Amino acid sequence: MAMSLRSAGREIWQTLSSIKTGVVLIILVVIFSIAGTVILQRPMTDPDDLQRAYSPAMLRFLDVTGLTDIFHSHWFIALLVLVSLCIVAASIQRFPNSWRYFARPYKSPDEGFRKVLPTQALIPITDDEHGLSAAERAFKHLHLKPERIVRTDSFSLFSERNRISEMAVYIVHASLLLIFIGYGVVDAIYGWRGFLVLSPGTASSQIEMKTGVTRTIPFSIRCDGTGEETYADGSPKRWWSKLAVVDGGREISRKEIVVNDPLVYQGVRFYQASYGRTGKLDQLILNATPANRTGTVQEISLAMNQTVALDADTSVQLVEFIPDFVVQDGRVYARSNDVTNPAVHMIVTSKKANSSVNVWLPPMPGIDENASSPYTFDPKDLKTGLFTGLQVSHEPGQWAVWAGVVLMAIGLTFVFYVVHMRFWVVPVVDARGRTALWVGGTANRNRDVFEDKFKKLVEQIQKELKTEFAASAEAQATSISGKSVSETKISRTTIAGR
Amino acid sequence: MARAKVEQHPATGTTLVVMVGLGMAFLLFMSFLNVVKSGNILSEANLLFAALVFYAGAGALYLGFGVTGTDSYIKFASLMTWAGLLANTGAVAHRWYEAGHPPFASIYEMLLSFVWTLAALTLIAEKRYGVKVIGTVTMPVAIVGVILMQLLPSEVRPLVPALQSTWLHVHVTLAMLAYAACALSFALAMMFLIQDKVKTEMFLAATSIFTVGIYAAVLTRFEKWGGLSVIAWDAENKSEVFISRGVRLFVTIPDLGWLMLLVFAAVAAPLVLYILARVKLARVKNDDGFLAIADRAVFISILLQSLALVFFVLRVRGGQYPSLDAEGLYATSLAASPFILAALVGGIFANLLYLLLLWRRADLERLLPDADALDRITYKTICIAFPLLTLMIAAGAYWANRAWGSYWNWDQKEVWAAITWLIYAGYLHMRITRGWRGRRAAYFAILGFAVVMFTFFGVTYLLGGLHAYA
Repeated sequence: MAMSLRSAGREIWQTLSSIKTGVVLIILVVIFSIAGTVILQRPMTDPDDLQRAYSPAMLRFLDVTGLTDIFHSHWFIALLVLVSLCIVAASIQRFPNSWRYFARPYKSPDEGFRKVLPTQALIPITDDEHGLSAAERAFKHLHLKPERIVRTDSFSLFSERNRISEMAVYIVHASLLLIFIGYGVVDAIYGWRGFLVLSPGTASSQIEMKTGVTRTIPFSIRCDGTGEETYADGSPKRWWSKLAVVDGGREISRKEIVVNDPLVYQGVRFYQASYGRTGKLDQLILNATPANRTGTVQEISLAMNQTVALDADTSVQLVEFIPDFVVQDGRVYARSNDVTNPAVHMIVTSKKANSSVNVWLPPMPGIDENASSPYTFDPKDLKTGLFTGLQVSHEPGQWAVWAGVVLMAIGLTFVFYVVHMRFWVVPVVDARGRTALWVGGTANRNRDVFEDKFKKLVEQIQKELKTEFAASAEAQATSISGKSVSETKISRTTIAGR
Repeated sequence: MARAKVEQHPATGTTLVVMVGLGMAFLLFMSFLNVVKSGNILSEANLLFAALVFYAGAGALYLGFGVTGTDSYIKFASLMTWAGLLANTGAVAHRWYEAGHPPFASIYEMLLSFVWTLAALTLIAEKRYGVKVIGTVTMPVAIVGVILMQLLPSEVRPLVPALQSTWLHVHVTLAMLAYAACALSFALAMMFLIQDKVKTEMFLAATSIFTVGIYAAVLTRFEKWGGLSVIAWDAENKSEVFISRGVRLFVTIPDLGWLMLLVFAAVAAPLVLYILARVKLARVKNDDGFLAIADRAVFISILLQSLALVFFVLRVRGGQYPSLDAEGLYATSLAASPFILAALVGGIFANLLYLLLLWRRADLERLLPDADALDRITYKTICIAFPLLTLMIAAGAYWANRAWGSYWNWDQKEVWAAITWLIYAGYLHMRITRGWRGRRAAYFAILGFAVVMFTFFGVTYLLGGLHAYA
């Protein structure tokens, strides 16, 4: 039983860590992502548009399967979790091998290895010691650090560069996981997004969430002003809001935010998202003319529910403002909150006559009593209130995401542009029984650069040998017919890459 | 016969150089007269026109090179590309200075930068990697780009608030570089397939599928009784006509839909014949009859496609058309349908390239670097493209975080950029861990670029979303 459990576990592990599973999962992610861009998605679409686009049965089906909100559906998230697990498993499975390769570099190549290595050369030498020291000088000349590997029966040279490049792929995988954790775990659990609408002079700590519930944050945001600047052609140039953070009754900080520059406090970010008119009256300016045409015209300014005296006896009060009115069955209704077709309702009171008259602007036949008013009113200007719409978000996982992005940039740089090159020089006896230097090398990528380097190394060794030969020939003053350098052959097979 | 051909080459060679030279001198002289009259030499329009003339000359010579293989063309062609690039640089600089921001804010400005990048990359590929014939592919694209620019609204538009960010420039520069690298890898992969002895009829199938796709996409605009609906254009304000916020007004050009349908049938014919030939080949060997007809059908389809293009341009430029959504007649303009125009031109271009391959395959094979080298350079370009794609997405996310309040919104363009990224990641994994080389890798690179193109054009055109301005 335990055995079969373990073997089942191993099976799962093997499946999970195989590259085939990874590819299948990624193809699934791609297919569902494409579906998510083709099928209308609830978070971004007007419900009416959805109903227009799909039949009710279809819409019900799409809703039940989560296809109208793929990117937040449980099964899509499960799929992403599976992909992450797959990356983890594949990395864990391959890591020990890479680590061995990284931690215990192969420094002294045996005969089998020397035979199959694609990039190698054979340089004839007179004796091992001189040949190796010439090779050492050649390495140094090419800014490679040679290492003498001494074994009981042999010694050889080894040099390498950028071994870290072998580990780079794990850096990239780790960065991908960091991004997944930041977005999919931290932000999915602790993150939230909402909306806050403020009028100048008001403060609030109640954030309306996308789901419809209200969230109270432990401090409040006060709006000290908001506005819009436009270009000469009328298109918007800049929306701004002056915000202040009030925490524990104290004002902590102030900032003027614009579209690309949010306010951040305690990890909560406030973005300028929208701007507009509230549909609530701020100020109404009127010309009031006595109905009997005896007095002078006076300009008055009214706010909501404000009473203004017109003369010693008469006063006017603004009692109702309807931004977009419609008259039905002898009553006035508001059709919308857009200030497109405004109407105001005022009451003109006369103390002496003890009368109050309902005045409507514009006149509403059958409703208004404008005719019996002691004053006629002529609207001059109407100022409605402004509001600023703030997008509020708390995404503590974003730091993991940014860290992941930076890590990934570093990892990718290593993966693609840092080449791990290794070179070996071993004194051997060639097929015809002569001593020679076997020079070999490999690189994990970018073969062109590597092969260039290898060619240079071989040429440099030959050059060093020549000067050494000349020097020793001079010193000994004997004429040894040295093996001509032209015998050297460089065999290169083009098996690209690793 | 062969010798006669070789002897002919020098003669035709000089003729072409002289003809192109004279044509360009004539065009430049005529425009110079105009410039002297207006007294404004270094305006953006003039620089662009000069770039167009030089690119056209270079394109003609590159094509001449592609067809005849005369090496002396290349010298003149790259010289002209240099001159075109210089004028193009001037136009970019002028634009930058005028607008006060790098030219990435509208489709027009993006094309300006894209053409610049393309010309620069062509020269790099030619000088650094010795891929001389690449201009045959890239220069016509550059010419189409510059012509499209003449049609698009080019005045400096003020930036809407969301675009006022340094991150816009970082994001778009990276996107341009990444996409140009992807385009290059695509061209190289195609050349690899040619050098890898992929049968010519495979390219027939590929170009046919591409063109059929184009006309299928155009026919999504087919309206009742043979019309073709295009976006209405307000010539006075130089903008598309909107019914309400974000909803464009479509007008129907009568009868153009029938023509598009006809051309659709014409471009589908080679594909059908190819499939017939494949089915038939399975049973009876060595029956190339269908393929020979298919090649002829390609030729006919090019003629019909050119006809469709001409009619499209004529009908769009003149006349007022009714709309299904609003009363009255509205004008339209080529500027309102840049994607249809680009698609029609692209279709013709793809088929012409096929004919080039059909007729001059041996020459092409002689001129191109060998398959191994092409395979390696393709891989290298993707090694450059992939980090750029990564950084482009990251910069976009960072900007979105500042402008929209969230670094990832699952917006259509974002999702498709992520898909592109995944495909190239798949390519690299297959190459590095599975040792995929040669054809499979080349197909992967081609798929990657197809998705890039869809992300760049298709998403804007078909899907919409938050990236509405790009």
